[in-house]
Amino acid sequence: MDQLIKPEINEDNQELNEPVLKIQNLFKSFGDNHVLIDFNLELKKGESVVVLGKSGSGKSVMIKCVVGLLQPDKGSVIMFGKNIPELDDEELDRIRAKVGFLFQGNALYDSMTVRENLEFPMRRTWIQFSQEEVKRRVVETLEDVGLAHTIDMMPAELSGGMRKRIALARTLILRPEIILYDEPTTGLDPITGKEIIELMNEIQEKYNTSSLIISHDMKCVQTASDRVVVLIEGRCYAMGTYKELTQNTDPKVNEFFE
Amino acid sequence: MLTTASHKKVLHQLNRSFLNEVGGLSRFAGRFFNQAFRPRYEIAEFIRQCFVIGYKSLPLIGLTSFILGLVLTMQLRPSMVSYGVESQLPAIVGIAVIREIGPVITALIFAGKIGSSIGAELGSMRVTEQIDAMEVSGTNPFKYLVVTRVLAATLMLPILVLLGDAISLFGSWIGINIRGATSFHLYWTQVFDNLAFTDVLPAFFKSFFFGFAVGIIGCFKGYNSSKGTEGVGISANSAVVVSSIVIFILDLLAVQVTDALGLN
Amino acid sequence: MAKKVVSNVKLGVFVLAGLLFLVILLYMIGKNRNLFGSNYVLKARFENIQGLVTGNNVRFSGIQAGTVKRIDIINDTLIEVTMVIDKKMSKIIHKNAVASISTEGLVGNKVVNISPSKIPDALAKDDDILPVKKAVNTDEIMETLYNTNSDVAIIAAGLRTTVERINKSSALWNLLNDESIPENIRISFASIRSTTGKAVKIADDLDKIILGVKNGEGSLGAILKDTSLVKNLNDAILTINKVGNEADSVTVEINKLVKGVHEDVSQGKGTVNALLKDSMMVKKIEASLDNIQKGTDGFNSNMEALKHNFLFRGYFRKLEKQKKKAQ
Repeated sequence: MDQLIKPEINEDNQELNEPVLKIQNLFKSFGDNHVLIDFNLELKKGESVVVLGKSGSGKSVMIKCVVGLLQPDKGSVIMFGKNIPELDDEELDRIRAKVGFLFQGNALYDSMTVRENLEFPMRRTWIQFSQEEVKRRVVETLEDVGLAHTIDMMPAELSGGMRKRIALARTLILRPEIILYDEPTTGLDPITGKEIIELMNEIQEKYNTSSLIISHDMKCVQTASDRVVVLIEGRCYAMGTYKELTQNTDPKVNEFFE
Repeated sequence: MLTTASHKKVLHQLNRSFLNEVGGLSRFAGRFFNQAFRPRYEIAEFIRQCFVIGYKSLPLIGLTSFILGLVLTMQLRPSMVSYGVESQLPAIVGIAVIREIGPVITALIFAGKIGSSIGAELGSMRVTEQIDAMEVSGTNPFKYLVVTRVLAATLMLPILVLLGDAISLFGSWIGINIRGATSFHLYWTQVFDNLAFTDVLPAFFKSFFFGFAVGIIGCFKGYNSSKGTEGVGISANSAVVVSSIVIFILDLLAVQVTDALGLN
Repeated sequence: MAKKVVSNVKLGVFVLAGLLFLVILLYMIGKNRNLFGSNYVLKARFENIQGLVTGNNVRFSGIQAGTVKRIDIINDTLIEVTMVIDKKMSKIIHKNAVASISTEGLVGNKVVNISPSKIPDALAKDDDILPVKKAVNTDEIMETLYNTNSDVAIIAAGLRTTVERINKSSALWNLLNDESIPENIRISFASIRSTTGKAVKIADDLDKIILGVKNGEGSLGAILKDTSLVKNLNDAILTINKVGNEADSVTVEINKLVKGVHEDVSQGKGTVNALLKDSMMVKKIEASLDNIQKGTDGFNSNMEALKHNFLFRGYFRKLEKQKKKAQ
């Protein structure tokens, strides 16, 4: 009774598109608290997958395992053909340059201006950028999120929605191939949340990125996902498109779609 | 019976949390030494931290040192006069300030200002995931945040102590001149006449340890801050408390060591 | 960027100011300890260094000249003190300059004092050993005082015999009673008598003091530190001695004179002869008497000073009390 609904995988697509991210048999526990139990997920190029789950279901832990912020107890996270938990710092940095991470609380550096926040990943990655390139790309990315005028402001001077956009711009600055979104609409009013989701979709189209979004916001799930994975008690409980899952009769899945 | 049992339990818990703290701090310090001397070196950030930790603390340290020197002199004067050794006032104040009061008071104020600010800053960075954000941006946050701050605190406190000493002695000169007249030159000669290397050097060296203690404890508390705004407050507060206690313990050790080395 | 440069400059100024103070501190101490600049080494060998330690100051006539660098025990009675002296002093300190150890202030550090000698000698060179003066310490002062006292006792005894000789001189008595002898001579002799009387009293006082000191009266010995007192006492003794000698010669002169006068008178040579003799002899005697007077006066004032010296005050007060009791 573990998996009521077998994931429907498009066989043709998989052959064409080797997944950019493949999570297999992931286990993670904190003491006696088993957060992730045999979690599996695949993300293909250009695809947008939403992981849906209640708070405390292990979504954040999963996404942090993906980016190497947490070390899983067991299992593998294959990104660009490399197993993340086994990499040393240098290799991890190379992979991370291709992955963007939008934090739930934005995690903008309070002590730096918007410009410095955006420059930070560029200056510190292993890829060498020229001074002009850094300047040019900061302005360009800020224009992408529609906040070019805030370049010399401090994060504290900005509204919640603006901060989210700046954080997104910082995530985008290295032109990542995969963007991980940790609850992108949490803490925002519905209208701003909708704007952010629209922006995410625009960016996905413009830069052809793959997105892994964790959320419990149904609006977000509805508009941003190609596929939805329902995460319940550390397991991949159900999987499918938004439409498929709305028609699901399982009460635990239904909870989310009422 | 019940009370003794519960007492034992409380003591046990206290003991465990204390040992846990000491162990955690030791590991943290070990990690610092492991990372501090390997590339990459965060030179620009280190210099920025030196500016923030050292230069920006000078007004506070300067003010307190000045008042300290002045008050110490005025408080000592009556007893010096009653012993008829008023002329020894500069010598006594000089030795007291250089050997003990300068380094310890400066370090305590430093702990209050810098320990709390490091604790709060890193704590809030931890809580708002800024530390994680750094890590995914290809930056080793331990090197970028901890190593730079600890090194800056270690190197800047001795400088602050020296300047604080100088300002204290100046304050003391003013204090002497409130109730008498001593030329600056005579005062200076009297202070230096009674100082030896064994007064200056141990005090100078121990201030490095004080600085290191403030830096590493502030970073430890902030870096391992628990979630929530409360966690930030606790980090800042316990950084000050613990580093102040450690300063006194180090001071005690320093006097034992200099004594054992025969430098007293 | 401009902001960054400014803050770097500020940081630089901050760090340099701190280090500058450190350098000044170390330099000033080093200068006081003669670590910088050229210097040379002088040595001195003491029997007792009274707690002198390395690093103590060396002064030449009160001027800071260097520091004690090393202290070596040569044998059980000799300790060699090696001093680092400022090169500037090499043109000033002579070989016969005397080193001594004393205390700086009331409870201060020990210092080595180098005092110049008045007798010319070659300049002291590197590694020369300077002669030393025994340190004045309390015990030694007491010892000196005892010696001085015994000297005084002997002299006082001598003085007494002299005076008694004068007193008992029958010739003098006869002379004084002899109305044939000119008035002025008689007055002179009378004054000799009174002077010698005073001298007896002085000798008695002295005896008492000496007795007191010998018996260790009061806390005299314990706090006796004033070397000038010892010197005064010595001077006084010299004076007394001189007085005694003078008195002796006066006695002889008087005897001669008296004899001459008597002869003249008995041989009936008249007063002319006597007067002639008088003008020469009497002048001589008068001068001698004058000297005695001065000497005893001086001694008196010394005794007076002694009485007022706080060390002896207790002793004299006690003496007075006893006197009162006796009455």
